[in-house]
Amino acid sequence: MDDMHQHGFRGWLAAPVPASAAQARAQQIWLGCKRFAANRSALAGLVFLLLLVIVAWLAPLIAPYNPFQQSLSARLTPPSAAHWFGTDELGRDILSRIIYGTRITLYIAVLTAGIVAPVGLIVGTIAGYFGGWIDLVLMRIVDVFLAFPSLILALAFVTALGPGIENAVIALSLAAWPPIARLARAETLTIRKSDYVAAMRMQGASHLRIIWSDVIPMCLPSVVVRVTLNMAIVILTAAGLGFLGLGAQPPSPEWGAMLSTGREFMMNAWWVAAMPGIAILLTSLAVNLAGDGLRDVLDPRHD
Amino acid sequence: MRVAAQGGYLTPRRRRRLRETLVAIASIGVTLLGLVALTFFIGRMLPLDPVIKIVGENAPQAAYDRVYRELGLDQPLIVQFLGYLKSAVTLDLGNSLTSGRPVLEDIGRVFPATIELATVAMVIGTGLGVPLGVLSAMYANSWIDHVVRTVCLIGYSAPNFWLGLMGLMIFYAGLGWVSGPGRIDFVYEYGFEQRTGLLLIDTIMAGNWDAFRNAVSHIVLPAAILAFSAMTYISRMTRSFMAAQLTQEYIITARVKGLSWRRTVWRHAFRNIAVQVLTVIALSYAFLLEGAVLTETVFAWPGFGRYLTSALLAGDMNAVVGCTLIIGIIFVTINLICDVLYRVLDPRTR
Amino acid sequence: MKLKHMMLSSAFAAAVAAAFPLQTAAETPPDVMAMAWNIDAISTFDPAQVGEVVTIELLANTCDRLMEYDPEDETNIVPGLAESYEVSEDGTTITFKIREGLTFPSGNPATAQEMAWSLHRVLKIGLGAAAALTEYGFTAENAEERITAPDDTTLVMQFDQAYPISLVLQAIAAYPVATLMDRDTIMANEVDGDMGNKYLATRTECVGPYHLARWNPGEVVILERNEEYWGEQPAMKTILIRHVAEAATQRLMLTSGDIDVARDLTPEDIADVSQIEGIEIATTLKPQLTYLALNNEFGPFTDPRARLALRYLLDYDAMGQSFLRDIGVIRQSPVQLGAFGALSEEEGRAFSLDIERARELLAEAGVEPGTKFSLILGTHPYSMPIGQHFQENAAEAGLDVTVERMANAQLFARVRGREFEMALMSWQTSVGDAHGMASRQLYNPDNAAEAKLTQYPSWRSAYFSEEYNQRVMDALLEPDTAKREELYHQLQLDQMQEGPQVFIFQTSQNVAYRTALKGWTFHGFRAFYNMVSK
Repeated sequence: MDDMHQHGFRGWLAAPVPASAAQARAQQIWLGCKRFAANRSALAGLVFLLLLVIVAWLAPLIAPYNPFQQSLSARLTPPSAAHWFGTDELGRDILSRIIYGTRITLYIAVLTAGIVAPVGLIVGTIAGYFGGWIDLVLMRIVDVFLAFPSLILALAFVTALGPGIENAVIALSLAAWPPIARLARAETLTIRKSDYVAAMRMQGASHLRIIWSDVIPMCLPSVVVRVTLNMAIVILTAAGLGFLGLGAQPPSPEWGAMLSTGREFMMNAWWVAAMPGIAILLTSLAVNLAGDGLRDVLDPRHD
Repeated sequence: MRVAAQGGYLTPRRRRRLRETLVAIASIGVTLLGLVALTFFIGRMLPLDPVIKIVGENAPQAAYDRVYRELGLDQPLIVQFLGYLKSAVTLDLGNSLTSGRPVLEDIGRVFPATIELATVAMVIGTGLGVPLGVLSAMYANSWIDHVVRTVCLIGYSAPNFWLGLMGLMIFYAGLGWVSGPGRIDFVYEYGFEQRTGLLLIDTIMAGNWDAFRNAVSHIVLPAAILAFSAMTYISRMTRSFMAAQLTQEYIITARVKGLSWRRTVWRHAFRNIAVQVLTVIALSYAFLLEGAVLTETVFAWPGFGRYLTSALLAGDMNAVVGCTLIIGIIFVTINLICDVLYRVLDPRTR
Repeated sequence: MKLKHMMLSSAFAAAVAAAFPLQTAAETPPDVMAMAWNIDAISTFDPAQVGEVVTIELLANTCDRLMEYDPEDETNIVPGLAESYEVSEDGTTITFKIREGLTFPSGNPATAQEMAWSLHRVLKIGLGAAAALTEYGFTAENAEERITAPDDTTLVMQFDQAYPISLVLQAIAAYPVATLMDRDTIMANEVDGDMGNKYLATRTECVGPYHLARWNPGEVVILERNEEYWGEQPAMKTILIRHVAEAATQRLMLTSGDIDVARDLTPEDIADVSQIEGIEIATTLKPQLTYLALNNEFGPFTDPRARLALRYLLDYDAMGQSFLRDIGVIRQSPVQLGAFGALSEEEGRAFSLDIERARELLAEAGVEPGTKFSLILGTHPYSMPIGQHFQENAAEAGLDVTVERMANAQLFARVRGREFEMALMSWQTSVGDAHGMASRQLYNPDNAAEAKLTQYPSWRSAYFSEEYNQRVMDALLEPDTAKREELYHQLQLDQMQEGPQVFIFQTSQNVAYRTALKGWTFHGFRAFYNMVSK
């Protein structure tokens, strides 16, 4: 048990009795990270996602070609040393397009998460905290949205709004917030009854303050886990929208849209459809792995 | 059955039950109303011109204006909504702007194809998913468990339209094991009477075995692709139900009594999770209908999903809204059935 | 344990493989022609309403018209339901002699009376197809006076001017508006005074070699032979047309023998299947042009130099050799090849990719670098590649173009309402005469927004030129053929420099068919199912 007596930062993190709240929190996070890191598949998922972020960020440096540069004479050339993933129907380099496409995929996923998490949290905690009519009305709305499979709802919205990335994000968010709201409400219901919240009320804390500083932080871990896992679904649905031509518009190298052009050349140019599909599969796999790992750390009640 | 004679009056417990039931019915009513409102809202947002679909691109303005009025597009929004509500209640979804026929009739015509596909997928998905889930829980952390969990992970990470495309490329174009897009080869299609619209059944009823074999070779790939996602969901849920069950005391007791592990799991634990698994199966059936949208597009399967996507692309507002509404109603209904199933069958909720 | 599992799983795999035997090549029955085609544009079978190419072809094979196209020569019009016709000396009246003893499938007699009624009906319903008649001076009001049937075998059409006869025969007599419709059956099924428009949405009630037996929208059309047909019986009893939107699927069905004919293959597919034994490709030019429509109300496009600049932003050669290969012929003139008065292929091709030249012209026209506009287009397989190709070249010339793909219905609605800046459109004429295109692409009777002449591409582009209007009418009414041809030539040359549209290519229609099928015959104006045999 030598490391127990280590000094410096590691020692501080490993101290058996934390000396301050900050140290306690840091220790908790450190433990969580250690648990996450012990889960090899989760780690692999996270590393892959980090890699994607780097690829998206450094796309212009990494991509061997300009993703928009056409070369009609070199259209549909199979994978080769010059074009690792081959070229598409306008002679553009597929690898470069996939590299630039990570930006779109991450943009859609992060933006959707950024919309869905707060909206779901706010609606869910308000409904759960206040109960009564507010709860009834909000949950009815959630029910109406949940009555549709998310793809169908997103399809209908994006047809109504018109194609495009921003509209796809709106449609995906409209389809994805209700389960988050329902989860946040369920969490809130258990917290609302706690003595702690009652004590805060007695001390005269306002409803909003209690929701903001006590209820929401308590809900946060399970919401984060759920939103992360939902990102995999969002990525797949976004690709589905792109596949149907309702997502990102040309010449944007969105993976689903690339896949859909590949469909036309299925018989004579398999790589046009295969490559973006693999990219989608790996990304959503990584999100799922990382999400599962995160759940084990943050939401141990699950399972 | 627990319909014990308790007298004609309402016991407090019965009264509570009655109230719960009424609230449940009312909330479903509200949900359905919300469905209608939401689909109406979506329908009005569509920037498509339904008139042009009817009069044709080259119609003179007079004809255009006439149809515009006929469709009621000159009425105030609230009047349009009330009219829409009325027609939704009577399930009169209007005429498809592409086919000129009632949307409900169109949906009725294409639905058997989807039902057939989803049902075959369901059978495969359940047949593989439940045993795999149980095995995975029985031998937790063994290699079986790892294999099953990995397969499941891939199953819910892969875009099923892409799997369909790859499946077509490999098993149809490459190996020639199965038939390609469509439900049945064109040559067989009109060689027998389509009584139920379910080709597997119709071909058997007609005794047309060539056509039957052909229909099977067409359905097997899309059904397998759909079944894959259903299987991952079912086996994952089954595994977690079973894992929870296996920590129960009676399992340990049974083991102590000397019952074999396999027998304990299948005879005792499985019986206890059967209802939960059944509701999961019912729910995944609903999700299969969703998955069918893209799968049908890839496989040119003339069902509900393809009807919806072609309506989307053709700007057929009535059909899009009608399909969305119908799917919503089916979803609510399946959820309701699951709920009832759960309440009626599950020993713990009695 | 592991071994046992492996054995079990391989046994399972073997069982699966045995249960689903190799897919053997199917063959279509000897009296059936099975065809895959993108037919989701069909919305009705009422000849008073159709204007869309698929339905026009189906109607041509189900409903005989007054006159027909010669299968061997698309410029030649031959007798159809009319045995002969006579033209009055002043050239304004045509008298058709209708065949005797015709009957409808219902058993009702089919005479000149029904023919006159059918033409009146088109005008009275006043939907899209009516334009074919109104263009030549007929209206719902003057219909009964100008189109008459003095007896059961005589039909008289009285025009307001002496139009070229061959033109009128193509535009009216060989067009779906001149279909002989079963008046009694149709009127018995009238709903709310619609003259059977709803009833005919899913039926054919006319005289012809085939009738529509079934139409499942977005799925299938089945034509069955009429055993009582007055003319020669076609060899095929049934024509099965399956809606298949994806070219790849059509190709698979053709190579596996599930269909006899595939209509919408991509250049790649055509190149591949033409190598396969037992499959042949037939090609014909259609009277259809695809072009970038420019809205002349949109600031940057008002200057003819700017419009000229845009013509230099496409690499016509590269397109013609890649995604337009086998499916189109580069055509920059507003008149299709094969029409009377059309420029030759070389003369009708004056531009090639020249970004520098485009940049100069744009600068001369005062179009700022970085000018933004959107190009809207539909769902044809070639639309997106053309759009993206233009987008890329325009970017190099300093223009910021957004490409928006949308359903065709939405595209038409936007263009009809002049709510666009640039749109990729196609226009098909029904006549093999330069007037067909000139009358709609160059001539604009009234440019006012309220006029809503949405059936005129010129109006949609807000293009109006007094001078060109006059030149189109002069050419139409010019009695001397050689002179008339010369007028059209000059018209095209001038328009190519300053016209409102950037014409790109003329559709070249490909049909891939299995050689078991004999006698596939088609040309720009129709396909002849009745000539097919096996």
